[in-house]
Amino acid sequence: RRRIRLFGAMCLLRLPRITQPLEKEEEEVAALMQQIELEKSHYSDHEIRKLEEEEQLKRSKESSYDEDDARGKTVILAQDLEEKWEQKFLQFKAAPRITDADKSNDRTSLNRKLDSNLMLLVKQKIGNQELWLLPQVEWQPGETLRSTAERAMATFLGDHIQAKVLGNAPYGIYKYKFPRAIRTENNVGAKVFFFKAFLQSSDLSQAELKADHLWVTKKELGDYLQSEYLKKVNRFLLD
Amino acid sequence: DALLGCHRSYRSRPTHGIGKFKYLLPKEIPKRRKEKVQMKEISAGTEYQYGDINIQMTSYDLGLVEHFAQYVHRLCNRLSIQVNESYAMPTKTNEVLFLEERGSKMQLDAVLTTHQRVVQIRGLSSTFAPILLEIIQSSQPEGVHLLMKQHTEADFKSRLKSRPELEELLAEMS
Repeated sequence: RRRIRLFGAMCLLRLPRITQPLEKEEEEVAALMQQIELEKSHYSDHEIRKLEEEEQLKRSKESSYDEDDARGKTVILAQDLEEKWEQKFLQFKAAPRITDADKSNDRTSLNRKLDSNLMLLVKQKIGNQELWLLPQVEWQPGETLRSTAERAMATFLGDHIQAKVLGNAPYGIYKYKFPRAIRTENNVGAKVFFFKAFLQSSDLSQAELKADHLWVTKKELGDYLQSEYLKKVNRFLLD
Repeated sequence: DALLGCHRSYRSRPTHGIGKFKYLLPKEIPKRRKEKVQMKEISAGTEYQYGDINIQMTSYDLGLVEHFAQYVHRLCNRLSIQVNESYAMPTKTNEVLFLEERGSKMQLDAVLTTHQRVVQIRGLSSTFAPILLEIIQSSQPEGVHLLMKQHTEADFKSRLKSRPELEELLAEMS
C-alpha cells in the first residue's frame, strides 16, 4: 500500500578547528579597540617594577648611590625576565593554519579547511544513475528515522564512529517522484529525511567501505549535488 | 504650662493616627535567606521540554568569557527563551612552576586564573535545542570551553559556601 518510499540520510559535520580570519573592517576595529584599551589601562605590577629598576639604574650611574647593595632585592631584573620570555616565545612554533594548501585540494582528507564545517558526501547508485549524495539508506518498518540515519552512517563509515546525533527530529526533507518509466503501483516516489550529526573524534582509522567519499564545505556542495537537492539541503546548513 | 502641654492625639479624638503613613507604602515580602531549588518539568508526547539547563563557559581570558556570556544571554532573549539566572562561579588560580634542570635549577612561575560563567535556561523545547547548540558551538571563540548540562542540586550547592562551625555544632548535637 505504501506508494512512497522513505529514506533516512545523515549529514555528518566536522566542526571547524580554528576561527575564520577577520575581515578588513573587523581587523581595523580590533586594532583600534586594543589601542584604546592600552591607553586607558593602568600599569601592571611587572611594568611598575621595570620602571623602578630603570630609575634606580639611572640614579646609580649619575650619582653612584649604593642602593642596590642596600636593597638586595633586585637579583633578577625585570628586563632579564622579559628577555627570557621573548626567547621562549620565539622558540614556540604554532601549527600551520593552512594544511589544505599543502595537500593541493585533496578533498578526501579531513585535514582540509580547518576554519569551516565539512560535510560527508558519498557516491550512491539510485535507479540507473550514480549520484553524489549525503549517505542514505532505506527506512525499514519498525525502526525510527533517526536509527535509519545512524545505520546509513554506519554502512559508509564503519561501526565505531564517535558522532553525536543532534536530536530526534529531522532537519530537512527532499521528496521526488520517479520518472515514469520506473513507476509502478507501489513505487511512485521517495522522500528523504535529513539528520545532522557532529563528528567528535577526528581520526577515521576504520577502513571505509566505499572509496567514493568526499569532505566538502558548504560552498563546494554546488559542484556535486543536483540543484533541487542542493536547495533543500542548503536550507538547514549554517555557516 | 507650656512644658506640660502635650499634643498627643488620644484614641477618641478624630486626629488619632494622623502621622501614620506605612499603610500607604507597598507591602514588602519578608526576604527568605535560602532559595529553594526549582523543580524540573517534562511534558510527555511530541512536545518534549527540558527543565533547567546550565550553559557553562570556562576560559583563562576574562574579557572573552564575559563577552561570550553576554552574547549567549542576549541570544536567548532574542529567541524568547526564558533565562533564569546568569551568574559567575568563583575563579580558580593555578600556579605553574617550570623546573628546568640544565645546570642551574630555574623555576619559572606563571599564574593562571580560570574564570567560569553560567547561564541558566528554562523551557527549551527539544526540537529547538539542537539548533541552539549548533549556533552556540559555531560562534564559540578560541580558548573557551563550552559545557551544557542539566541543573542539579549539587550544582546549586557548589555555589554556596560551607559553614564549618555550623557543621561542627550539628555533629555535636546528633
